[in-house]
Order: sequence, then C-alpha cells, then structure tokens
Amino acid sequence: MKRLRWGLIKRQVAVQVQVITLNLYSLGLFVIQPAVFTAVGMLLSHAAGNAMPDLVYNVIGGGIMGMWSGLVFTSTFDIVDDRRTGVLEFIVGSPTSLATVEAIRTLTNVIAGLLSLSVAFIAALAIFGYSLKNVNFWGAGVSLLLLLFAMWCIGVFLANFLAWSRMSGTFVDYLEMPVAFLCGFMYPIRILPVWLQILSGILPIRWALQAMDESLLGNRDLAFLITHWAVSIGISLIFLGITSWLQVKVHDNIRVSGELSSI
Amino acid sequence: MNPIAIEASSLNKIFKTKMGLWKTKTKSTVAVEDVSLTIERGELFGLLGPNGAGKTTTVKMLTTLLLPTNGTARILGMDVVKHTAEVRKHIGFAFSGSRGLYNRLTAIQNLKYFAELYSLDPEFTRKRIPDLLELVGLSTCGNDKVETYSSGMTQRMHLARALLHDPEVLFLDEPTVGIDPVGSRELRQTIKDLISFGKTILLTTHYMAEAEELCQRIAIINKGRIVALDSPDALKRRISGDSVIEATIQAVQAQVLLDQLRVVDSRTVVELKNSIKPEKICIRTPEPARVLELLSPYLNPQYIQELEVRNQTLEDVYVTIIKGDKE
Amino acid sequence: MIKSLVHSLRIYLAEAWLSYHGRFAITSPFGYIASKLGFPFFLMLFFIYLGKFVGFTNPLYIVIGNVLLIPAANGLNGVNLAIADERQWGTLSYVLGSPAPRLPIFMGRALFYILDGFITALLGLGIAALIFHLDLSKVNFWMLVLCIFLIAITSSGLGFLFGSISLVSRDGWMILTTFVSALYILVGVNFPVESLPPMLQPVAYGLPLTRGIMAARLALQGAGWGVIGHLVTGEVLVGAIYILIGYLSFHLIEKRSMASGTLDEM
Repeated sequence: MKRLRWGLIKRQVAVQVQVITLNLYSLGLFVIQPAVFTAVGMLLSHAAGNAMPDLVYNVIGGGIMGMWSGLVFTSTFDIVDDRRTGVLEFIVGSPTSLATVEAIRTLTNVIAGLLSLSVAFIAALAIFGYSLKNVNFWGAGVSLLLLLFAMWCIGVFLANFLAWSRMSGTFVDYLEMPVAFLCGFMYPIRILPVWLQILSGILPIRWALQAMDESLLGNRDLAFLITHWAVSIGISLIFLGITSWLQVKVHDNIRVSGELSSI
Repeated sequence: MNPIAIEASSLNKIFKTKMGLWKTKTKSTVAVEDVSLTIERGELFGLLGPNGAGKTTTVKMLTTLLLPTNGTARILGMDVVKHTAEVRKHIGFAFSGSRGLYNRLTAIQNLKYFAELYSLDPEFTRKRIPDLLELVGLSTCGNDKVETYSSGMTQRMHLARALLHDPEVLFLDEPTVGIDPVGSRELRQTIKDLISFGKTILLTTHYMAEAEELCQRIAIINKGRIVALDSPDALKRRISGDSVIEATIQAVQAQVLLDQLRVVDSRTVVELKNSIKPEKICIRTPEPARVLELLSPYLNPQYIQELEVRNQTLEDVYVTIIKGDKE
Repeated sequence: MIKSLVHSLRIYLAEAWLSYHGRFAITSPFGYIASKLGFPFFLMLFFIYLGKFVGFTNPLYIVIGNVLLIPAANGLNGVNLAIADERQWGTLSYVLGSPAPRLPIFMGRALFYILDGFITALLGLGIAALIFHLDLSKVNFWMLVLCIFLIAITSSGLGFLFGSISLVSRDGWMILTTFVSALYILVGVNFPVESLPPMLQPVAYGLPLTRGIMAARLALQGAGWGVIGHLVTGEVLVGAIYILIGYLSFHLIEKRSMASGTLDEM
C-alpha cells in the first residue's frame, strides 16, 4: 500500500480551503442554502396549519441539503475553475494522479459541509428548542460518519465526469436535485412511491441518512441500524470500485480529446 | 546511461470534433503528422513553426498531456504512454500565457502546492523555493498573490514551477514571451546555465534570434510535419549561402530597379518590402557583387538612404522554408 | 436618432444570439433539455414531497409556482451571466472599453434566455398537466403568455442589478445564485405570500415576480384583465424600477471598478 502522503493531504486541504471553501459563495451555500430550504419547509408546514415544524426533517434536514449542495457546487467549481485557469493541465501532468487530488479535495468539501449541518443543528437547538433527550447518540454519530463516507464516495465518483469533458461536467449539476429528492433529505423515504424507494436504494447516502434520522428520532433498533449501515458501506464501496475503474478511463480520455486546457 | 533524452518516432495526433446539433458530423484535424526526432542528453533543441503548426501539440504529447494517435515517444528511455507516471517525475514543462497558476494564492503557496504534487521532501522544498524565486527574479514578491503579477512575472513563475523538482528534461513553450529585453537576456542566460548543469531542453519560440543564440539544433515544423531539422548554421547553408542586401530607396522608381535586379541571376529573389515611400527592397542573392555593381549608379544619398549587406539570418531561412513548403 | 436606435437594436439582437449560442455550444441536445427541465423538475418534486410530508395538501400550487419561476430564473441569469461570464473569460475590459451602449449589450443577452424560459414554462405546464393532472381547460392563454413574458423581463432587471456586482467582484454571479434560492421563499412560488411572517410580506411585494406569479396563477384559472390587470400593472411598475436601478447601478459601479482596477480580476 502506498505511503499516505500527509504533506500532500495538508497542502491540498490548505489550497482547497483558501481557493474554494473560503470563497464567499461557498460560505453562502453552506449557511444560506440550508436556511432557505429550512425556511421553505417551515413555511410550508405553517401554511399547512402546523404549529411547529418537524425539527429532524425540516430543520436538520435543511442542513443536510446544505451539505449536499455545497459538495456538488464545490466539487464542480474545483475542476471547472482548474480547467479555466489552466491549472488542470499541470495537475494532470504531475506524478500525483488526478484521482488522488480529487479524493482529498472531495474529502475537504464534505467536511466543510459539516458547517451546514452544524448551523442547522444549532438552529434546531437554540431557536426551536429541539430536545436531545431521546436521541440515540451512538446511532446518530456512526450514521453521520457513514453519511460523510457515502457523500465522499459519490463526490469522487462524480468528479470523474467533471474531469472527463466540459460537456459531461454539466451533467453533474443536474444530479444535485434528483439525489436530494430520492434520498429524502428533508422528508422520510416512506412517503415516496414504492418504486422510487426501491430506486433510491442504489444510493448509499439514502441508507446512512435514514439511519441518522431514525437515530435522531430516538430509534434504538440495532438490527435496523446495522442493516442500514452495512448496506450504506457496501454500496459506497461499490461506487469506489467503479470510480477506480473510471479514473483510468478518464485519465486516458482527457488526454485524447485535448480538452484539458479548454475553457 | 541512455544518451538519448527525448525520442519521438512517427508521432501522429488527429483531433476529432463533432459538429451539428442533431445530425452530428465528425471532423478530423491532423495536428501532427509523422513527427520523428531524437534529442540527446544535455542538448538544447528548438522547435520552430508558424501558429497552428503543431508545436504545442507535439510538446504536449512528449509531456504526457496528450495521447498520440499513432507513433511512440520516449523520455529518457521511458515510453510516455506506458510509463506515464514515471516520465512525469523526470520532466518539467512551462507553457506561455497567464494561465496555469492559482491566482488567489501567493507565488510561494503555488510552489509549495506543486512541490507536494511532485512528492518533494519538505526540507528540500524549503530551500528550493527561495533559490528558484531568486533565479527567476521574483524573490521580492514571493508573498504576493499571483493575480497581482504582470504577464512577465507570471511567465517567470511558470519557469520556477517547471524547475521545482530539478527535472532532467525541460519543455519550455515560448518562455520569454511577455518579458522585457533585460529580463529576456537574463532568462536566456539562465537557460544556458541549465544546459551547463546537464539538463536537456526542448524550446519552442517565435524569436529567431533567441533560437539562433540558444539552440544547438532546430526543427522547423509546418502543418504538423517537420520540414527541416539541423543546426542553425547548417540550415542557413541550406539556402545556398545567399547574402541579403536591403536598401531603402527614394527618388527612384522601385519597380524599375527591381526589374533590373531580377536579371542578375535566376536564383536571386527580389521583393519590395515596403511600398510606402521611402521604399525598401530586399534582395537575396548568391551574387552580391553583381547586385552591388547594378546598384552602384544609385549609391548616392539622393537615391539610397540606407544600404545593408549581411548573411542570411535564421529568420530568412525560416521564412524561405515555410514559404517553400506552402508552395 | 433613428440610426442610433437601429444600432442599439442590432447590438441587442447580435449579443442575444451570440452569447446564448456560445453558452450552450458545448452541450448536447440532451444536456440542453436536462438543464432546462431536469433541475427545475426535480426541485419541484422535492418541494412537492416536502409539502406532502408537512401536510400541505395543494401540490399543484407548488407545481405552478416552480414552473413559473423558470422564465424568471432565466431572465435573471441571462443578464447576470452576461456580465459575470465576461469577467471569467477575460473579455469584460474589451466589452466595456468599446463605445457600444451598455443597455443593449447586456440586456440583449437576456433575450434568448427570456424566449427560452417562456418556451420551457409552457412545456413545463404541459408536462404538469400530464403528470399532475393540472386542469388547463379554463386557462386564459394570452393573459398567461403576457404574465410569463412579464415575469421574465422584470426579473432581468434584477439580473442587471446583480450583474453590476460582478463588475467589482469575481463572486457576483455566485451572490445572485444564492439570491435566486431566496426567491423560493419570498415570491409565492411554493406557498402563498400571506403565509410569510408579516415583516417579510412587504419585501415580497417589493420584489418583481410576486405580482406576476399571482397574475399567472389567476390566468391559469381563466381570469381576465379585469381581475388581474392591477397585478400586471404593479409588476410592470416594479420591474421598470428594478431595470432602472440596475442600469444606474451598473453605470456607477462600472466607474468604480475602473478606478479600483477590478475589471480584469479572475
């Protein structure tokens, strides 16, 4: 196994934070986006006559939405910006694989997305009086880690399309809402038609998120949680496997088309 | 040790682009056709050609950024397609233009980032970066953001980045573009110093004087094919050791003079370089004495303002070869 | 005078087509359709199920609102991207350094986006009728067409305003995109404006789109000018104000950006 290059990880994270994360829009996405979705959920709830919004799905779910939107945006922006500024060529031309660079970047973006979740969580606690009394902390903690892992796997998978060509990169943006819709970011999966629930099963995010939401609602059924965790890990690893195969194809294809430096 | 640093054998690159919305047609563009060259270790080799000739495409294939459609290329004996990762450790490349750096980062931050991509030891990087910034004349602005740099400064940064990991082979694509004359001179000296340290350099440039000064051999590429490859002196000799006589004339009908000069020799080429008075004529001839004899009645400041007799420069050779290839 | 008008019109139309064509030149027909319908469709589905979860029993309200936002977002983005993209490609200095008048250059770029948004909205309503059984039998078609065009034009004024920010900041287009998200709350897309907290309702009515969307909803139910005339007039007035503010701010900020040298920052 190759030696873990801590120097590269530290440096890539630092560059990522400076160039992308501390960008005004990224910060806006991580903070404002969850607020907007949460507000829509709350106001819809108010229009429906509810006195209080659902704090797990409406409020904390808005944080998940912010995490995901932030991840899709920052991952897209990474490669598009590198292509535009001409840096992509120099990264590809270095001995470090683009796959390694993308893996570290996506991890940074996923962890940055925790800002969204934290803001939403704090809002739920401080503003809406969310009670932690019944929360299954262990379940929620493990589920959150697996959710981050699942998002990372999907993010790295999507990065291939962004690098492949300018045209395939636009396809990634279109996936943002379908994934959010299918995985039930702000509502329980059970309200979707059955065939959509089955379809959403191919996404590891859905399983980890469901386990986390149930844990936040106080579910302590270990069998339920372990099943969801196992499925999430399994599908995430499948995505990683496909990604490894795809990365070789992408590396060859981007050097055939000559689009590395095309804006 | 393999004495050959860069070897290209029948390299071809065809780009396919799709056009049309519903019924798409594929258009094939031959960017590089049957390019073969061999560059020895420690050699400074020039690649010249008009815009769109295939210079950058050739360089990108050699630097592993483009996959050849056909043909092979080796750097220090390693195939650029089969041993891509290994080749990248031994080469450095710098393209012209302001793109290729993180504008929101400082020069030092950019270099530190690329140092990590090249897996350089942190201790080595710590010493290397200030030395490189000194070498390229940016030591006072290493902590400034690249977005504040002029185009010349950005060009120097590219060179610093290319040298970061002390590669054995360098590819420099128009390295002195955008740099002032003093800076260009210093950069050319730097390039000569790199050769004395044993580096192999492939240089593309449009500045003929630069190519003539620096390059041991030159390949001229046009429409994707190499049309000439030799040392600068040998290339000049190819055009039959002609002399060039340039005269700025007035109070004389240029066309009359040109007609007289054309009969000197069938190999004498005469052209009117500037049709606005005072007119400038250029005569390329193997018989300079006869031409001067014909001009002697006009050797008077009233008729000829300036007269220059010189040997062919590389630019003359280049223009002749390219024009000849067009015909 | 006429020569100047013709010149402006020529710039308007040339800018419109060239920028629109350039934007989508690299995409395929599938990609183009996906961008026009895909994202708004799935966002709408997301809101529908969000509404279903909280007990909001009128999904058609959400469907209509989201479809009507398409031309608005297009008009907004069209103008804003015109300015922001120029900065990205490094051509902003060349465009502003030319003597061509600003209004037709940048507003012209919204034209095809507006047309595009209009067609997409009509398509979207058709799809909504098929999938969600939206009843289109009573629709006042020409009034609806007017409302949709109006929404697209008035929102392009907002685009001009936000586009001005791109003259001094490379993140201007990003600020706009965040603002567009806020529209989902403020202008009656997913729920009536009356559901907003009292202090936000004046903000909603102070924005373009709010009255236009209300008018379009009524037109879908067959309402005529007598019922929605005041809403249309209000929308025109508010939109005109924003276009004027956008134009003036553009001029002011253009001068400022030239003083600060931020035109070329990437």
